Amino acid sequence: MKVNHLFPNKYKKIGWLVLIPSTIIGLITLILEYEPNFLDFNVPAIFIDEFFGEKQFLGIVNNNILNEIFGVLIIISSLLVAFSKEKSEDEYISKIRLESLVWAVYINYGILLFSFLFIFDLTFLWVMIFNMFTILIFFIIRFNWQISKIKKSASYEE
Amino acid sequence: MKNSIKVERAKKNITQADLAKLAKVSRQTINAMELGKYAPSTVLALRLAQIFEVEISQIFTLEDSDWS
Repeated sequence: MKVNHLFPNKYKKIGWLVLIPSTIIGLITLILEYEPNFLDFNVPAIFIDEFFGEKQFLGIVNNNILNEIFGVLIIISSLLVAFSKEKSEDEYISKIRLESLVWAVYINYGILLFSFLFIFDLTFLWVMIFNMFTILIFFIIRFNWQISKIKKSASYEE
Repeated sequence: MKNSIKVERAKKNITQADLAKLAKVSRQTINAMELGKYAPSTVLALRLAQIFEVEISQIFTLEDSDWS
């Protein structure tokens, strides 16, 4: 009955400490198209379809892994922020958690549907890249906003 | 669903924070229940009844809107 698949509370802080800097630095390197040479590696790939090359199943490609590093850091840290227990995680908090998750999925797919219909080609690829993170980001914003709202409301009453 | 948590709390002369600790929930949950914003689970309702030493139906009562 007590199974909720959440991380312990302390991971929330660790999550924030990684999420904020890696989001900022990740965005900056993306905008500046910064790809340092020492991060160029030959990495295994499941499917290869280069612009002027052969299509190939399973192979090795040369890739700058900086974006992979930031992608992994942002996804893992936002999972920690989103799904670590509150200090007093109880049934009411769980209800807010669920409501926020439903809301985040709706908003995320609403935006995706709109972009899918009206944004094309390479620009749509950018939409998909951001979409990797947005569902968790929307959830984190909504959930924390709701929690701070009920905390405020509870501090008036006595 | 209506509840008389606030009244029972006054009888016992304990704060929301005290009750939260006794019932092992957050203070926000007690607050939300008193404001009628949250209907507790059966387990929490039973815990509250035991804390206040009353029958559960003395704390929680159905309203017509609960049937619609």
